[in-house]
Amino acid sequence: MLRYILQRGALALAVAFTVSLATFFLLNVATDPAYAIAGEDATPEMLAQIRDTYGLDRPLATRYFDWLGGVLTGNFGESYYWNKPVAELVASRAPTTIALALSALSVTILISIPLGAWAALKPNSWADRFALGVAVSAQAVPNFWLGLIMIILFSVTIPIFPVSGDDTWLHFVLPAFVLGASSVPAVMRLTRTGLIEVMDSDYIRTARSKGFRGMPLLTRHAMRNAILPVVSVLAVQLGQKFGGSVITESIFAINGLGRLALESILGSDIPTVQMLIFVFALVFVAMNLLADILNAALDPRIRIG
Amino acid sequence: MLKTTVAATALCTAFASAVPHAAQAGKNDDTLRVALAEEILNLDYNYTTKREYIIMAELTDATLFDLDPETQEFAPAVASDWEWVDDTTLNVDLREGVTFHDGSELSAEDVAYTYNWIVSDESEAQAKGTIERWLETVEVTGDLSLRFHLKSVYPLVLRDMAQRVKLRPEGAYEAEDGSVDESAMATDLVGAGPYKVVSFEPGQEVVLERFEEYWGEAPAIENVVVRNLPDIGTQQAELMAGGVDWMFKVPLDVAESLGNMPQAAHLSGPDLRVGFLVLDAAGYTDEDGPLTNVKVRQAVNHALNREEMAEYLIGGSAKPIYTPCHPAQFGCTEDIPAYPYDPEKSKALLEEAGYGDGFQMDLWAYRDKPAAEAIAADLEAVGIDVNLRYVKLASLNQARAQREIPAYFGTWGSGGTADTAAIARVHFAGDSDRNLSGDGQLTETVLSAEQTADPEERKKIYEEALTTIAEQAYWAPLFSYSQNYLVNPDLEFPLSPDGLPRLDKASWK
Repeated sequence: MLRYILQRGALALAVAFTVSLATFFLLNVATDPAYAIAGEDATPEMLAQIRDTYGLDRPLATRYFDWLGGVLTGNFGESYYWNKPVAELVASRAPTTIALALSALSVTILISIPLGAWAALKPNSWADRFALGVAVSAQAVPNFWLGLIMIILFSVTIPIFPVSGDDTWLHFVLPAFVLGASSVPAVMRLTRTGLIEVMDSDYIRTARSKGFRGMPLLTRHAMRNAILPVVSVLAVQLGQKFGGSVITESIFAINGLGRLALESILGSDIPTVQMLIFVFALVFVAMNLLADILNAALDPRIRIG
Repeated sequence: MLKTTVAATALCTAFASAVPHAAQAGKNDDTLRVALAEEILNLDYNYTTKREYIIMAELTDATLFDLDPETQEFAPAVASDWEWVDDTTLNVDLREGVTFHDGSELSAEDVAYTYNWIVSDESEAQAKGTIERWLETVEVTGDLSLRFHLKSVYPLVLRDMAQRVKLRPEGAYEAEDGSVDESAMATDLVGAGPYKVVSFEPGQEVVLERFEEYWGEAPAIENVVVRNLPDIGTQQAELMAGGVDWMFKVPLDVAESLGNMPQAAHLSGPDLRVGFLVLDAAGYTDEDGPLTNVKVRQAVNHALNREEMAEYLIGGSAKPIYTPCHPAQFGCTEDIPAYPYDPEKSKALLEEAGYGDGFQMDLWAYRDKPAAEAIAADLEAVGIDVNLRYVKLASLNQARAQREIPAYFGTWGSGGTADTAAIARVHFAGDSDRNLSGDGQLTETVLSAEQTADPEERKKIYEEALTTIAEQAYWAPLFSYSQNYLVNPDLEFPLSPDGLPRLDKASWK
């Protein structure tokens, strides 16, 4: 097990480094960070000053190896935009994104699992069709659109929640819903399929013959087996919430990693983009690993090797 | 049906009850809430460049001189008087009783320190490039008097003093251990402007409070809160919900539609930004290319319907322009050859130039896509086969630096400087990659306007330069821009002719 975790950890690092290398060269080839920093009306004097300040006039390879050397000694460099260590910047933004991702995942669970169970108990009924409709709609609606509609409905028309910001828990309600909604289809459909399969199995027939019906049958017997694939999807979805927070955080002006990523990409803040890609890649691989471990814990038949 | 009606009524009631509350949010607590899409990461304008930072600095900082946006005349600000000893020596006297936000009294030592710091080797200030063009050193001659020694004659000295250098207390850029700390003022700003910083969360929020010891006219509004809201949709929603009183850079269609709502007022003011086509007359992309022929460039000029572009695509107070600068800028004469919209004449000129069957041309653009498409369509209409390359600004900049662009739709805001120097130098000086004219004589003329301080002489030089640019049709000037604002209807926000938003002049109705 330990060996497996170490292997996966090494793989995550390799992925992160490869992505960082590609990002570094692509960002530098696609744009000159000095222009991004100076803005639309950059004069040659401003550009020269900026290149000198940030060492952008040095060869690309030198700059990459400098960065890499720093990373290996735990120094991710200084942000061009924020003039402070990138690690400090990312650490200060991470709690907000973690809070948002976990709230969004809670929204996903609260909506999709009951909805999936309801659909599974009455397959091909109007309830099932309704659940399918919810899933298709949630899949089809883009985040930014849903975000703005929620703001118009619940912040402007009926002013219940604040429009933007991240000061109180109320600020997280709409963004968590928007971010969570995008995962509802996958989790709901998987819950439904898993339950329908399990409901046909022998041990459920046995349970029924013992007199179990309805919710007790569902929660005590069927759900434990049906939930296995759902758990691993939820772990992966949690990883995706980090990357997926880019648009949601920007719309709701939440100062998390997603908004930082967007700003850094638009501003060609290469050190920050690179560390964020590192973090996102590691979170994603870690979540996959967590899914495998959780599956093993829930189902003794699964042996990780 | 009944349920639907009840729900709709409830929604309308909720909306209606929200409206008055929203409209008066800022007025009630005397707090002007400003939304900016661009992040504020650094409060020290000596170290920043963008428009949003200029807006912030107008609130927090003081300068030696002020520029009257109406008359473009300089008035003493922290300075009380000034006198040119000779062409390269300027004496400046300071006003008494100017106080920094930390309570210290401003002295000649502070002013000398600020200027000498900016041009010093270790400063790395964004203002350095502009100031070191002319400043040799500053010498303190008394408690409240200074002498500026210039490297050479330079006509924009007072302008740079009014706009580029914000005054700091002596030692502002030194850490406690005496070492250099160029970002010392980035988050803990000590200025001498009408508002002082109460709190600052970089990239999130700046809270300002009226500075009661301010030496000048006190602003009407007590508090200003500047929030960074990256999404324009969120800004609109905040305005509708009463969370924001002022937003700018609003697209025309959004400004017009929201301006009709009771919670918002649409203001459209002038902007120093102008749009233009730059044509590769020098032949950097193709030595014998069609654009090296003056008749072809004139044909391009005649092909463009600037009036309609300005009226329908840019809107607001945008106007067509026929001169390669903003008519509000000093020295920007409109009395030069113009090329009115005349597609037939354009076709005839192409015929004369030997391109009666047209030619293929890559046209690069990075903003205002509808205008870029209209330009391409106008050129297509006279027979030029345009390949519109609509890209990110950074890509255009890079391609231009590598001399790969035959023609581009550019814009320039002159950093809010209402002087032709602010647009001419960067576009027609020899060392700039924006200069596609390849005209060495023109470069000399443009630079010579910066070597005399005599306004009449400068006007004459610019007239000569602008006439050459027009005759040679190095550019096809297009239109001036307008700036669209959405504001709380209770807010009185005066618009400046130079397009710079001065929030300290705002008041409640």
